[in-house]
Amino acid sequence: MRKLYLLLLGVVFAVAPALAQRTLTGKVSDEKGNPVANASVVVKGTTSGTTTKADGTYSLSLPANAQVLVISSVDMIAQEFNIGNLSAINATLMSEDKVMEEVVVVGYGTQQKKAFTGSASKIDAKEFANLITPSVDKQLAGRATGVQVTNSSGLVNQPARIFIRGVNSINQSTGPLFVVDGVPIITGNLAAATNSNALGDINPADIESIEVLKDGSATAIFGSRAAAGVVMITTKKGSKGKAKVSYDMSMGFSNTLKRFDLLNADEFVTITNEKLANRGQAPRAGVNPGGVNTDWQSVALINNALVQTHNLSYQGGTAKTSFFFSANYSKQQGVVISNYNKTFRVRTNLEHEVNDFLKIGNNLSVSRQDDGDQNNGSNSLSGSIASALRLLPNVNPYNINGPSGFNVSFPAANAIPVGPNTQGVDDNFTNVAFTLSQNKYTSDKIRIINNAFAELSFTKRFKFRSVMSADWFNDYSFQSLDPRHGDGYSSGGIAYNANQNILRTVWQNYVNYNFKTKGHTFYLTAGHEVQKQTSKFISVTGSTVIDLFFLKENLISGTASTQQVGGSLSRSGFESLFGRLNYDYKNRYFLQASVRRDGQSSLAKDKRYGSFPGISVGWRPSEEAIWKNSAFLTKTFTDVKFKYSYAKVGNTLGGFPFLSATFGPAPYGNINGIALNFIGNPALQWETSSKYDFGMEVGMFKGRVNLSFDWFLNDVDNLVLAVPTPPSAGIPGNSISQNIGTLQNKGTEFSIDLSLVRQKDWGWDMNFNYSNIKNKITKLFSVNGTPVPYIQNGAYNLIRVGDPINIIHGYEYAGVNTANGYPMYYKADGRLVTHNVVNGLYYFVNNGNDGNLLSTNATSMGFADRKKLGQGIPTYFGAWTNNFRYKQFDMEVMLRYSGGNKIMNTTAQEALFSQSIHNNGKAILRRWTKPGDVTDVPRLFWGLSNNVNQNSIANSRFVESGNYVRLQNLVISYTMDRDLISRVGKGYVESVKFFVQGQNLFVWSKYSGADPDNVTAGGIDQSVSPQIRTISFGMNVGF
Amino acid sequence: MKNKLNLLAIPVLALVLLTGCKKALDLQPYTSVAVDVAFSNADKCLTSLYGVYDAAQSGDYLGGAGRGYPFGAANIEQGDARGEDVINIAAFYQITYQATYNATAANCEGHWNSLYSLINKANVCIDGFRGAGSRGAVPAATALQFEAECRFLRAMAHHELMVHWARPYRDGNGTQVGVPYRDFAVNVPATVDLVRNLPRAVGDSVYRRVLRDLDFAETNMAATTTGTARTVRATKAAAIALKMRVKMHMGDFAGAIVEGNKLIPAVLTPLTPTSVVSPIGSWALTASPDGPFTNNSSTESIFSVRNDALDNTGVNGALPAMLGAANLGGRGLLAVSPIIWNNAGWRCDDVRRTLLYVSGTNANGGQSIFTNKYRDYVGRSDFAPQIRYAEVLLMQAECEARVAGTTVSLRAIDLLNTVRNRSIPTPATNQYVVANFATPVDLVKAILLERRIEFLLEGKRWADISRLSQEADYTTGGIPAKAVNGAQGLAMYGCGTPYTAGQAGIGYGDYRFIWPIPANEIIQNPIITQNPLY
Repeated sequence: MRKLYLLLLGVVFAVAPALAQRTLTGKVSDEKGNPVANASVVVKGTTSGTTTKADGTYSLSLPANAQVLVISSVDMIAQEFNIGNLSAINATLMSEDKVMEEVVVVGYGTQQKKAFTGSASKIDAKEFANLITPSVDKQLAGRATGVQVTNSSGLVNQPARIFIRGVNSINQSTGPLFVVDGVPIITGNLAAATNSNALGDINPADIESIEVLKDGSATAIFGSRAAAGVVMITTKKGSKGKAKVSYDMSMGFSNTLKRFDLLNADEFVTITNEKLANRGQAPRAGVNPGGVNTDWQSVALINNALVQTHNLSYQGGTAKTSFFFSANYSKQQGVVISNYNKTFRVRTNLEHEVNDFLKIGNNLSVSRQDDGDQNNGSNSLSGSIASALRLLPNVNPYNINGPSGFNVSFPAANAIPVGPNTQGVDDNFTNVAFTLSQNKYTSDKIRIINNAFAELSFTKRFKFRSVMSADWFNDYSFQSLDPRHGDGYSSGGIAYNANQNILRTVWQNYVNYNFKTKGHTFYLTAGHEVQKQTSKFISVTGSTVIDLFFLKENLISGTASTQQVGGSLSRSGFESLFGRLNYDYKNRYFLQASVRRDGQSSLAKDKRYGSFPGISVGWRPSEEAIWKNSAFLTKTFTDVKFKYSYAKVGNTLGGFPFLSATFGPAPYGNINGIALNFIGNPALQWETSSKYDFGMEVGMFKGRVNLSFDWFLNDVDNLVLAVPTPPSAGIPGNSISQNIGTLQNKGTEFSIDLSLVRQKDWGWDMNFNYSNIKNKITKLFSVNGTPVPYIQNGAYNLIRVGDPINIIHGYEYAGVNTANGYPMYYKADGRLVTHNVVNGLYYFVNNGNDGNLLSTNATSMGFADRKKLGQGIPTYFGAWTNNFRYKQFDMEVMLRYSGGNKIMNTTAQEALFSQSIHNNGKAILRRWTKPGDVTDVPRLFWGLSNNVNQNSIANSRFVESGNYVRLQNLVISYTMDRDLISRVGKGYVESVKFFVQGQNLFVWSKYSGADPDNVTAGGIDQSVSPQIRTISFGMNVGF
Repeated sequence: MKNKLNLLAIPVLALVLLTGCKKALDLQPYTSVAVDVAFSNADKCLTSLYGVYDAAQSGDYLGGAGRGYPFGAANIEQGDARGEDVINIAAFYQITYQATYNATAANCEGHWNSLYSLINKANVCIDGFRGAGSRGAVPAATALQFEAECRFLRAMAHHELMVHWARPYRDGNGTQVGVPYRDFAVNVPATVDLVRNLPRAVGDSVYRRVLRDLDFAETNMAATTTGTARTVRATKAAAIALKMRVKMHMGDFAGAIVEGNKLIPAVLTPLTPTSVVSPIGSWALTASPDGPFTNNSSTESIFSVRNDALDNTGVNGALPAMLGAANLGGRGLLAVSPIIWNNAGWRCDDVRRTLLYVSGTNANGGQSIFTNKYRDYVGRSDFAPQIRYAEVLLMQAECEARVAGTTVSLRAIDLLNTVRNRSIPTPATNQYVVANFATPVDLVKAILLERRIEFLLEGKRWADISRLSQEADYTTGGIPAKAVNGAQGLAMYGCGTPYTAGQAGIGYGDYRFIWPIPANEIIQNPIITQNPLY
């Protein structure tokens, strides 16, 4: 503590002018406290210097302009000190080995990388240090093998979808467990009225490193929650030595990466009247004398959305105490005009060694996230993109005389006026300019994560650590719907507030014990963990609100004539015992065995506990004598390791699926009622994943080439499947959870790091990584002893034995019949049929030019005629990153790729090729118009979308490849010369770096939609917000 | 020192392990109660009974509640959209209107799922009420009454299933395949296997069991309900009226008359329609044809499914939202078709044209004629009418006309007039007389037309199309020709003006006449056969 004061004094007095020549003394020791002899002590930028004596002491005569002292020694890390007016500077130098030794952050501890026999990918915080991002999940894509990340829309507050080594469950959680500083935190899309990312409460700039634990042995210590992998996040700590202050900022602009290519007003009129004419109807679309040509996308989306982020951090430490403090403000405006995310985050990480026996610490993170959003429904009439795609381009969004300046029919109707047309937009899509600006969807969240620990060192080898953590999440949401137009019209305006309060407490107690004897090293960890979570929710809705005035920020008592309330409460708990043994023999042979016994509240008393063992072995042949004796081997292959692991892990369940049957609220109007709401399964047990991994790590040419390869297999058994029951059984939710079914994920991962150029002025590092995953459903349930071959999952997807999860399943399109312009399909038996979209019947035809639709050839297309049209999840993905350095310039180029999947483009099916009076995509201009036309777009028929496009059924006409290559990041930075800084900065400024960066700059893809990432986990594109391209500049300043 | 610290380790670790919180795992849900609580006393039994009615109001749709399946609004909207007397304006009911259903169509699934969900909730409660009755938790009579109401709803649901998913009874006199029949509770996983061993019952078997339920219901239900329960809980009259409906689907007109006579006095005075009062429940027509719509619990409203401002089927389901004109606050999705509006048999001066219909803006910003039977556009509290006294009278009229052989039934004319007279000017001179009908067939046709007019946008059209499909005199020949989807503009409406339907009809023999069984049913329950060609 006293040192801290001294340090502070030093900072204060450093401002004073340098004093006259004087003598500086001190002592240099190593981390064990032993004196370091012959260490070099030099005044920076001068020739004044000396070396330490045998007892580590030195004495140096300072020149008048002395500012910085550099103390260094062989194999140790040099340290710099501000001299100020100090008369004594003592230094503790860390050995280079100790620091360079890479560690892997694992559950309840760390391990040396060379001894680690599991499979994990480390992501250095530097990789995403300055990128503009509201949360770290959005930046994980491409950075680790086996980790598939999809940002499935351009909404800034929507969490990324992450699969680690594939989709490992059908009905249970498929996202990884996030552990921050050893404690699992609340994650998810949690706000009541907006998209919201709970992971955004962790400031990406506070992160020191991320470790993605992938295989069974690395994750088995997390037992039941490890099935989908674990992401371990470690936040920054203060380091001993001089305190450092840094300020990082970046600022930039976001734009849509790609928009939809829609018809202009003239094209719309042509197409619409042709749709009508083909059904014998008079024209309804009219040419606007004023030449209105509205680009509705530019009404809903903005250009150059401002994004900015500012971070201030202060860190340092004395021999006993270290601290890290940071404050952050960032605001990201999304590309949809009402979409934004604003964060204020502060963090304090403190650690203090009371004495040799006791160490205490506390990590506190307090954050506030404000989110703004809108109706994003892909089928909603006020859905931001859904309506922007369909609204008529010859109708003006604005009207100076309309309510708040918008062109709406208030009070006469809830419609946008028809403009020059005799009919307005079909289905009553609403004026998106009005709804986006007048309706409000907001959420203010406060999150406190406190993580306190005490560590008792009974002996040097025997430590006990107790960690108590509280994660408190509070969301206050508000939504208001304007009564004049859109979703609020028919309710006279709606004000809605919701409060959501989640508290998770975790208490961990564990011991670490290690001992060494004659080359054998044992490291034991054992402990206990208990977790409780309570989620409370309350909501109020007021409809028919007195005045617009009461629709701005919050629901006000007595302002709404219909008032509704809602509420809920849920609890869950875990209790676990765990243990792990690590053994290594001479750094050559490694063994790890771990077991976790987990109990969870979601299972019946006698089924509640599950045991999850893991084991792994490793061998480093490069440590064998025979290898070390070979000059060639040691020179070429510096470090080689083989490893193999096997583990069984589980999956967390929610709710109380074991309860046999319950009655829940079911009011009949406002008369109280209760009804059967759930049928459970008391016999339900844990889902188990058997994870196998074989891996190889090779370091070549003294670390200039590093290769890693992993083969993995994950057999998931006893899937806790919401087994569909026949709807005619009338069971709530039409399913009962059962332990039945198996699935498999199998794949390989490969990564290579190359240090191609390592010269004084030049540097070039490259990383390439590749992962492939084969997912297969191997067994589902049986009905009356006969295995069920598939489960229907929504309108487009099927979960079928022998196929990957969520195949796209629908009709196989056979193009357009050239004789009549009708669409054609293949029946299950391969026979060609033409669909007479007017009478709805299908007719066998001889070929695509056969226009004879004979009534004797009439048939139908049924469920049996649907086929597998592709799989929704990518089979391979990875990234190629290059880092170039030239003098003070650095450039990073990251390309990311993904593929093997198909996309069912319902945006095209339902909107871009709609046969209603909607605007369409430009592709509809390719439609069939006269006999003989060869095209893929059928003849237009007003009012027959369902028949022409087969809405709600996958149709290979709209199924496209999801392959892409993306220029994810391009960052150019310039680090100012230290000498220049010390001259200009006068010692106040230590370092300055400037950078410009482009994020998500370009995507190469044949996909015709807005973006191949804009898909659900089943590969369905549903009119979501286009992706964002951000170009920003910024700087880092160190003090 | 170090040794002492080692000793300290033992109590520290012991403390940690001993305090291991078992409480973390022993949790119970706070949002629902156990089954035994639901039938523990009379109050809870009543609450559970209302839970069954709730299942009739708003069942599952695509995993969420709302939209009014099966009887809260959706059966009315679907029942009309399948027929020719409405025009579908937007995409909402388009697949129903154009008969483009497939085995994964959401509406088809929603209706099927919520009907069986209602049936199962009824079955679970039947068991629960019987248990409570025998335990003495509720008086035996109350237990029987509650069971009777459940069986009424179960019967109504099975009949609705027959109307949409099976060929009509009279096509083969009940020998055609019907729908899966469920009369046992599925509340434990093991019972699901029972379900998987029961194929679709033949039509006759379903109808006979429906009638058995309704007989039980008639015997054990209350004659009247009062207060908030009025109209929204079924009474004896509802069971009897539903029996009439079912028997008419079976072609048992004489049997229906026996039922009808329980609800209709022997002496009729058609010139004062309100004077015809049911001996059971005192049901009677309201003075004005809009009476049942200005008052949800009118004298005429025998059974309706409750909606109110706090719990209704929402903007995507509620009757005023879907059927109401957009300028009034509805969404203008199903308009009245000129096919019925222009029908020469509907008097131009019929007050229903002005009391119950308005011209207004539709979903596409154009003009159409809409019903305003459902008029709480903001609160959406209109009940969904299922059985009105007017229907009892018109059903009886049809049956009397049919059983009269070659003579034109006077009582049938009186019954028809009782309903019609309240809507036409000067009934004394304008009401029907025997001379208006050359044959009994003409009388039946007039009654059938009166049903279309009186119950327009009350969801009864498809059931009539289905039940009449086998009779050459009355059939539409299948799915009738309709106005083209989205046809609009007031110019096409005109009393008596001929109108040509632009969307071709689909013959009775076409597979699309009945709906596909949802794919999930076929996959999960292979014993259930799909309707052909789906």
